[in-house]
Amino acid sequence: MTQVVKVQGLQKRFGKFLALSDVTFTVEAGEVVGFIGPNGAGKSTTIRTLLGIIKRDAGSAEIFGKDVWKDSIEIHKRISYVPGDVTLWGNLTGGEIIDLFIKLHGAGDKEKRDYLIKRFELDPKKKAKGYSKGNRQKVGLIAALSVDSDLYIFDEPTSGLDPLMEHIFQEEVEKIKESGKSILLSSHILSEVERLADKVVIIRQGEIVETGTLDELRHLTRSTVTLETEGDVAKMATENGVHDFTQKDNQATFSADNQQMNDILLQATKLGVKKFEAVPPTLDDLFMRHYEG
Amino acid sequence: MKEKFARWDTLFIQYVKRDWKKIIIWVLGLGLFSAGFVPAFKEIAKGQGLLGMFETLQNPAMISMVGPTPIETATDYTLGAMYAHEMLLFCSLFAMILAVLHVIGHTRKEEELGLTELVRSFQIGRQANSLASIIEIVFINVWLALLIGVVMISFGAETISAEGAFLFGASVGMAGLIGAAIALVMAQIMPTSSGATASALGIIGLLYIVRAGTDVANVNFSMINPLGWTYLTYPFTENNWLPLIFALIFSSILVIIAFALEGARDMGAGYLPTREGRESAKKSLLSVRGLFIKMNKGTIISWMVAFVVMGAAYGSIYGDMQTFLESNEMMKQMFSHSGFSIEESFTGTIMMVMIGLVSILPIAIVNKLFSEENRSHLSQLFATKVTRSKLYWTSIGIAITVSLIGIFFAAGSLGGTAVAAMGDRSTMNVTDFLIAGYNFLPTVLFLTGLAALALGWAPKLGKVVYVYLAYSFLLNYFGGILDLPEWFFKTAIQSWIPQMPMEDFDASIFIILTSISIMLIVIGYLGYRRRDMMEGA
Repeated sequence: MTQVVKVQGLQKRFGKFLALSDVTFTVEAGEVVGFIGPNGAGKSTTIRTLLGIIKRDAGSAEIFGKDVWKDSIEIHKRISYVPGDVTLWGNLTGGEIIDLFIKLHGAGDKEKRDYLIKRFELDPKKKAKGYSKGNRQKVGLIAALSVDSDLYIFDEPTSGLDPLMEHIFQEEVEKIKESGKSILLSSHILSEVERLADKVVIIRQGEIVETGTLDELRHLTRSTVTLETEGDVAKMATENGVHDFTQKDNQATFSADNQQMNDILLQATKLGVKKFEAVPPTLDDLFMRHYEG
Repeated sequence: MKEKFARWDTLFIQYVKRDWKKIIIWVLGLGLFSAGFVPAFKEIAKGQGLLGMFETLQNPAMISMVGPTPIETATDYTLGAMYAHEMLLFCSLFAMILAVLHVIGHTRKEEELGLTELVRSFQIGRQANSLASIIEIVFINVWLALLIGVVMISFGAETISAEGAFLFGASVGMAGLIGAAIALVMAQIMPTSSGATASALGIIGLLYIVRAGTDVANVNFSMINPLGWTYLTYPFTENNWLPLIFALIFSSILVIIAFALEGARDMGAGYLPTREGRESAKKSLLSVRGLFIKMNKGTIISWMVAFVVMGAAYGSIYGDMQTFLESNEMMKQMFSHSGFSIEESFTGTIMMVMIGLVSILPIAIVNKLFSEENRSHLSQLFATKVTRSKLYWTSIGIAITVSLIGIFFAAGSLGGTAVAAMGDRSTMNVTDFLIAGYNFLPTVLFLTGLAALALGWAPKLGKVVYVYLAYSFLLNYFGGILDLPEWFFKTAIQSWIPQMPMEDFDASIFIILTSISIMLIVIGYLGYRRRDMMEGA
């Protein structure tokens, strides 16, 4: 597979503050990459560096095999971007702004624009100063989705959107994904990433702490197990791979290392299983694992 | 009733605490501006100054700008009469504008920002906020009125009586209340806070223009104009308190109307429907240039109108300039350069002043690019194939174009009116004025270059260019009456240019300054191309 985005040891300083210390990841062609991390971890800084809005201090960053700073205009011809907080010119209408963005991008589609305006239920005749946060976000999204690009960069794109609109956004992104485009989706709404992303990159304090497919990452973590046995369930507490054990009557809840699952099951059967429930880790658990410890 | 305004006092105290710095600057700034020029006017009044000023201000153009005086013969024109005549209308206007911005900022604006929503969820009456804002404005303007009165008296001028001084202060303070009342009504009617601000300021502008007409035609008609109720008190001459009573009644009625309107509307809604805009963009908008022109349109048009009006106002003085300058020692010193007619001398100076004002526009346009960047308006543009060089050079291009047009309007309007006012006596024609205007083009380019330099390397310093402009402006304006060394003069960029038509055009200075300006612009570009964009910084 060809690499659409390739970032290696990226660093960025603002004065004395080291905003990015070591950012390394790739986005393959046709891949949707979830870029997750809490506020202030460096998601937007990374994206702005990728867009050539700010200049990196060290490391390399390429999109389509071109340097993001030197060849930014060549790159920009083939990408679409939506910032996390879309700010608009108050005296222009949503429709005018969308048209302007499409025109400046170059490869616009009038039909797609009208379709998306309808789909997102945006009133294009309203002046932007009258829009709520969610509606401003819609303007940015419609402009970005109406044009044909090879890479779409979304920086917390659904902030301010209601769940219904969030859903529509996800559907539209899935369409793009099916047509083989690459997407870099930064978010802290994990369910969104979980649904769309092939791969997850977790950033923390300017550093990438985890990269991999969801399955790979899940493997590293623990499932939550609820177990009810006929025998004394307390014996399970000392088993290898059992953590955070709590017991109520004959029912226990604990988290289990996925690698040790087989042994745990064997032990449990010895006690006579009445009920066994295992919940795979959600992205939230993955996330918390990196941020609690 | 009580429930509606519950706890307004808590909000009021909160506002005073929150705004105390602003209030101090407001009261001191406007107060000292209104009262502090007494010594300067004493200077002007020396010798035949009062007489000359009286004659000058009989000019309809001047009356339309500064207002009328009740004095009919020059001998009765005292220092106090002149001070009230020249200062009161402008001070009242400032007080009104400040009050409008403040009231809308605390009412409609806070609704838009969602602050009101939060405040109303507590045990606060629905209309307590408006009441608190109005009481705060009363509080501020009472202090302002008292300060003006006290400062004026403190100069101990003979014709500045205590009654007159406090009446002057009260008139300015009352202007603030009128402005606040108008603003509060507009805040209820208009759909957005910016609409409310624009319409309230528009109404004040309209009142000003209407009074310009009635002052010249028949001053009695100005008495039915709310703005008229400020300067028609005629402090130091007639000391008429009656207009202030009208103003008080008028403002109270407006405030009551505003409360009634507010009581009947939903939070965040207005009475006028939001105007529908275009569903899709016009072709002219669909480019960086189209966008930038649209962004700056309001600023450009209002300044162009201002240039024309100013040019016409100054131009109309040419008619009776001779009488005025002959009678005033200070003015004479400012304008007289031996061997030339007073009109030609005046043209050199006034052109420098006018073109100095024209420079504001290109600086504003260049600075706008940074403020757009800073407000993250350009984030999505940065990610398109639009280059930084396109953003930069489009801004510079518009700035230079409007400079050229601005000089044309300023110099052309000054020349046209002046030639008409002088009639047969005229020694200059309109072309002479245009040449004298474009002679200063390098200074405008230089200031544009400074703004461009700041944009590229230290964008936060963009505003400092205005400070330098103000400095040069003051140095040029008052420099003539102070005895300053030559090098000190030269720190003002305009001083390098020979003042046509008295002095000859100097091609080498013109070319050198233009080249330096171009260099500044190019250096600015080099910085702009490589620096980090500062969004929300």
